[in-house]
Formats: sequence, C-alpha cells, structure tokens
Amino acid sequence: MSNWQSPEATARLNKRYAAERRFKALGFAAIVLSMLFLAVLLFTMLKNGIAGLDWSFLSGSDSTDPATAGVWSAVKGSLWTMLVTLALAFPMGVLAAIYLEEFAPRARWVDWVEVSINNLAAVPSIIFGLLGLAVFIQFMHLPRSSPLVGGMTLALMTMPVIVISGRNAIKAVPPSIRDAALAVGASKVQTVFHHVLPLALPGILTGTIIGMARALGETAPLLMIGMRAFVSTPPGGITDPSSVLPMQIFLWSDEVDQGFVQNTSAAIIVLLFVLIAMNGVAIYLRNKFETRW
Amino acid sequence: MPISFVLISVIGLGVIAWAMSRARSAHFAPVAGKLKLALPGHYGLYAAIWTIVPALIVIWIWSLISPGLIHGAILADPAAAQLPAFEFERNTILNEAFALANNPNAFVSDPVARQLVPAVSTAQTRFGWIGAVLAIVVALAGLAFGYTRIKAGFPARTKIERIVLGALLLASFIAIITTMGIIASLIFESARFFAMVSPVDFLFGTNWTPDTMASPTSDMGDDLGAVPLFWGTFFIGAIIAMLVAIPFGLMSAIYLTQYANPRARSVLKPMLEILAGIPTVVYGYFAALTAAPFIRDLALAIGITNASTESALAAGLVMGVMIIPFVSSMADDSIAAVPQAMRDGSLAMGATTSETIKKVLIPAALPGIVAGIMLAISRAIGETMIVYMAAGASANLSANPFERMTTVTYQIAALLTGEGSFDHPTTLSAFALGLVLFIVTLILNIVALRVVKRFREAYE
Repeated sequence: MSNWQSPEATARLNKRYAAERRFKALGFAAIVLSMLFLAVLLFTMLKNGIAGLDWSFLSGSDSTDPATAGVWSAVKGSLWTMLVTLALAFPMGVLAAIYLEEFAPRARWVDWVEVSINNLAAVPSIIFGLLGLAVFIQFMHLPRSSPLVGGMTLALMTMPVIVISGRNAIKAVPPSIRDAALAVGASKVQTVFHHVLPLALPGILTGTIIGMARALGETAPLLMIGMRAFVSTPPGGITDPSSVLPMQIFLWSDEVDQGFVQNTSAAIIVLLFVLIAMNGVAIYLRNKFETRW
Repeated sequence: MPISFVLISVIGLGVIAWAMSRARSAHFAPVAGKLKLALPGHYGLYAAIWTIVPALIVIWIWSLISPGLIHGAILADPAAAQLPAFEFERNTILNEAFALANNPNAFVSDPVARQLVPAVSTAQTRFGWIGAVLAIVVALAGLAFGYTRIKAGFPARTKIERIVLGALLLASFIAIITTMGIIASLIFESARFFAMVSPVDFLFGTNWTPDTMASPTSDMGDDLGAVPLFWGTFFIGAIIAMLVAIPFGLMSAIYLTQYANPRARSVLKPMLEILAGIPTVVYGYFAALTAAPFIRDLALAIGITNASTESALAAGLVMGVMIIPFVSSMADDSIAAVPQAMRDGSLAMGATTSETIKKVLIPAALPGIVAGIMLAISRAIGETMIVYMAAGASANLSANPFERMTTVTYQIAALLTGEGSFDHPTTLSAFALGLVLFIVTLILNIVALRVVKRFREAYE
C-alpha cells in the first residue's frame, strides 16, 4: 500500500500535472494559430495592396489596364445594392420580429414561420442566388446585373438575421414596461410602437448592421444573377448594370495581368476596412445603449 | 407624365389629407358618455392611408397593364402595317422604336423602327397621362372618403391598428414565402432537367463532363453523373475542412471557457470572431494566392510530382479556418450549458481541470457539440467562393488531397455564369444540384437544431 507521498504517487501526480499543462498549451496553441492565420492573411493583403491604395484608385472605375483601374464604380454599385437591401430587409425584419414576439398566437402556422426563419438563416447563400435568378430574372424579368435584383436577393438573405436579432432585443425588454403602458390606457399597438420598440431599437440596429455587413461581403448569390459584368461607368441608379466590391475583387483575382494582384489586394483592404468600421459601429451601439434591466 | 411625379403628387395629397383631418379632429368635442376613441394623429393617418394606398394600388396595376395597351395602340397605327408578321422580328423592331423614342441617339438597325417613333411617343404619352389622371382621381376620391368619415366618436385608432396588424402579419409571412419560393423554383427547374435526364444517371453516374454547347437531343445522362461532385463537396467540406475546424474550434472554445481569465477572454473571443466576419471572397483569394502555391511546393518537396496549383487541400484548409469561430462558438454554448455542479463535483473528487474537461464536460456537452459540427458541415458544403477560386473545375473521383477537385457549388456557379441557354439540360442541371444541396443542408440544419433544443431541455 503506497501512501500519498510515495515515489510512485508523486510520479503519477507529476504525470497528471504534465498532461494538464500539455492540454492547456494545446488550447492556447489552437487560438494562437488561428490568430496567426488571421495575421498572415491581413499582412499578405497589406503588403500586396497598400502601395496601390491612392486617390485615383478610390475614385476610378474598372478598366482593362491595372494602372488606371479603380474601385469607385464597384463601391457605388455596393452602395445602391445595400440601399435596396436595407430598404426591404429592415422594415420587413422588424415588423416580422414584432409580430412573432408580441402578437403571434400559439398556432401551427406560427411554428412554420419560426422553422422557416431559422432554416433560411442557414441556407447556403448560393441557393438564394438560384432563387433570385429563377424568380426575379427569369419569372419577373427584372433587369439582370442590376442593384435592384442584387439588393432584393440579399434582402431575403438578411431578413432572417434581422428577425432573429430583433426578437432577442424585443424579448429583452422587461414586461413591466408593457404593463405600465397598458395600465395607463395605451392599446397593445401603442404599447409596442411607443415603448417596447424604442427600447429594443439599439439591439435591432446592432443585428441589422451585422446582417448588412454579411450582405456586403457576399459574392456567390450575386454571381448567379449576373452582377459580374465589366462596368466602366459608375451605375447611376438601381436598374443600371453594376458590379459590387466583392465581385470586383473576384473579377480582378481572375485576371492574368500581374498588375491586378495589387488592385485585388487594395480592393480587399477597402472592403475589410468598411466591414471593420461597420462592426465597430455595431459594437459601439451595443455598449452604449445596452441596458441591463 | 413621369411616374415619379405621379408618386410625389399622390404622397403630397396624402400629407394634405393628414394635415386636414388632424386639424379638423383637434377641435372635436368629447361625445357625452363615450370615451375618446382616437387622437388627432390617428384621424390624420386614417385619411392619409385612404388617400395613398388605393392610389398606389392603381399605379401598380396600371404599370402592369399599360405596356400591353401601348403595344396594341402601336400595332393599330398605320405605320405598323409594314411590320413583319413573324413575332420575334416584330418585337425586335418594336424594342428599337421604344429605345429611339426615349433616347433620340439610340442605335437603330431597321428603318421601320424610325417610322414607328411618332406612334410610340404618342401612345406612351397618352397612356402615361391616362394612368396619372386615374391615380390622382383615385387619390382625391380616397381623400374625400377618408375626410368625410372623420367625426367625433369615429374609432380611427381601432381601424389604424387593424391595418398595422395586417402589415405585421404580412411581414412575417415573407419568410414562409421565401422558403416556398426556394423550394418551388428549385423543384420547377429540376423537373425540367429530370424530364430530359434520368435521375438515376444524375445521382449515380460517375462521369461529369458538362458541355453547354452539345446538342440537347443526344443522350446527356452519360455526361451528367454528379457523384464526383458529391465526393468533392464531401471531401473538401466535410473531411478536410472539419479536420481543421473541429480540433481548432473545440480547443479554442475549451481554452476560452475553462482556462482564459475574463480579460483575456474579452480580447481573444472578438479577435477569433473577426475570422468569421471576413468575406469568403477574401479567403478564396488568399487560398488561391498564398495557400495553394505553398501547398504545391510542400507536395513537390515531399515527392508528389503531379501537384497542381489548385488543390482540394488548399480550399479545404482555408475553409476549415473560416469555420473555426463557428465551431468554437457552438462548442462554447454547449459547454456553458453543462451544469456547474457537474464540473464542481469532478474537481472536488481531485480530478485536474483537463481530466474534468475530457471525462465530464465534453461527454456531457457532446450532443450540442455534434449538432454544432453538423451545422458547420452544412455551412462548409454550401460555401462557394473558396472552392470556386482554389479547388479547380475538374471533376475528380479521388482521395488524393493534392489533386484538383470540384464541388456542387462550384458547378452551380460555373454552369449558370456560362454562355449556355436556360433551356439546355446542362444549364438546368445547376438547379438539380441546387436542389440536392438544399435538401442536404436542410436535413443537417433541422436535425442539428432539434438536437440542440433537446440537449438544452435536458439540463434545464
């Protein structure tokens, strides 16, 4: 019988402690390696692209000559597309979230709505592209490669994200707010629109910005609806043929001319900068307006 | 009359209706023995809705039927007598005439089009005016109706709230409509494909050499066997990517939840989530520019001679990194859901932290972790840009990760961005592939969400 100070017990204990340290190091290594990958990715893009980032690049349009090509036409296309997406997805998403959280009865069809929202949030983006192609272009004959069709397709993708975050934000508003409003004679609709919605708005906006950032970086569904056209003049409206920033990156990455490597990386820097700024605003909103009840 | 002008006048009338009704109702004396049923704002909104909504519906319907009317009017014009009877040619000329009427510098190939321009312009102007007048008359009628209904004791608030509820209901139906739209469009186009190619050939054939220019009458089934695509998708998304994402995601979740102090956690977790926020096209470019040549050099160094710049390994590895934060946050949630008492019990018995994690926490959290991995796989196989840019186009039924390989998503994108016509079976096969992808991801998602739900309930 060995006691707890015997050499065998100590050796066993040391072995267990060594295993403990190894495991902890393994966990740390997993994080460090992931960060390292991120750092290498960002460094590669900065190294290749920073030299190409000047005013003529930011204000120029696509061109076959890498030295004169710029991102402005693609940025403008992205702006129009995001405008359409926001105009459709935000009201629809918020209204649906309000209905599901505040008014929906316990019924079979409400379950169906919830199931389809949760599934839509996980459907591959290229499937939305197929939907856009089949319905908006083949069936409704809307103009191909236009920000209108792109924005509508992305709105269908973004809406579930807004609904899910909107529901969480509405759920977080305590019942006492509703009770107080109802007690002084407000109707249910007034309660929701005058009291619950303003309190839930920061949370909804955070979710909306995150959803919009995702839509802004999306390429595959827009490929399906033909937004890969060569666009040398910035689009003037939502029905003009246009490109978007991620699509410009994709198109340039396909060019044989070595000069486009710099352009592609510079465009990636622009895109990542916008995305980081959007996420920064979302985090700021969340921290500034988050109320703990 | 341009449509934007009509829209602005309708909205302007709506604002007038709102202001008039609001001003009128502000002086309503309370009806004796009755509660006040609405505020002035409600009356204003009520009249404005009656002014704007029916007019908008009229504009919408008119925009649907007026092209047909314009068409008819032009064909009745004497200048249209010279138009060819063949419909396709006739439409080409008409389109040119329309372009010319709206833009005098437009290019015209047929002189008949130029003669038609006056007819086109008069028809367009005439029907434009009819539509505009119709919309404004309806708006005025709505205004009159709404305004006259407003009197003390009229329950405007109840009416408005009924409309608001209708709008809410409509918005929540969009999700179901979208889902049904996806299913319907995929099934409809796939049915056209399967009418030409047998489903057995498609699902079990092992030769994928699509040719959108081939004559559609020849037997297409032999060239459209999708097994190599399914294999490529599975190999890249469910094997290579998961070999990266599962260990890294799980270990970072464990480190973040069990070892890191709150301050380190609050810095490391958002940084890990940056990985999830990077657009896939950026990963794709990185995979093609940096990862793929690196892997090729590595393969050449270890003696694989036929290594190419595009490889399943490059796409899979980069995709795996993209999925790490996703697996990590799912594992994080599952581990956090395990009751603290189980962890405390294990530690109190003298187990080390790593023993507790390996023998208690992970087994207890396993259903949640597995569900998270299923969702991650569903995400990986639906990913398009990385494989499009780094995995290559050649269908390859091989287990060698250094070879080029193609996936379902790659082929969907390639077939539909090509030059093929939309009636060709090869182009339509993209929709059949989309249907398969949709069904597989749907099953993975439904099963995973159900497992997560049951798992949460088990510990609550």
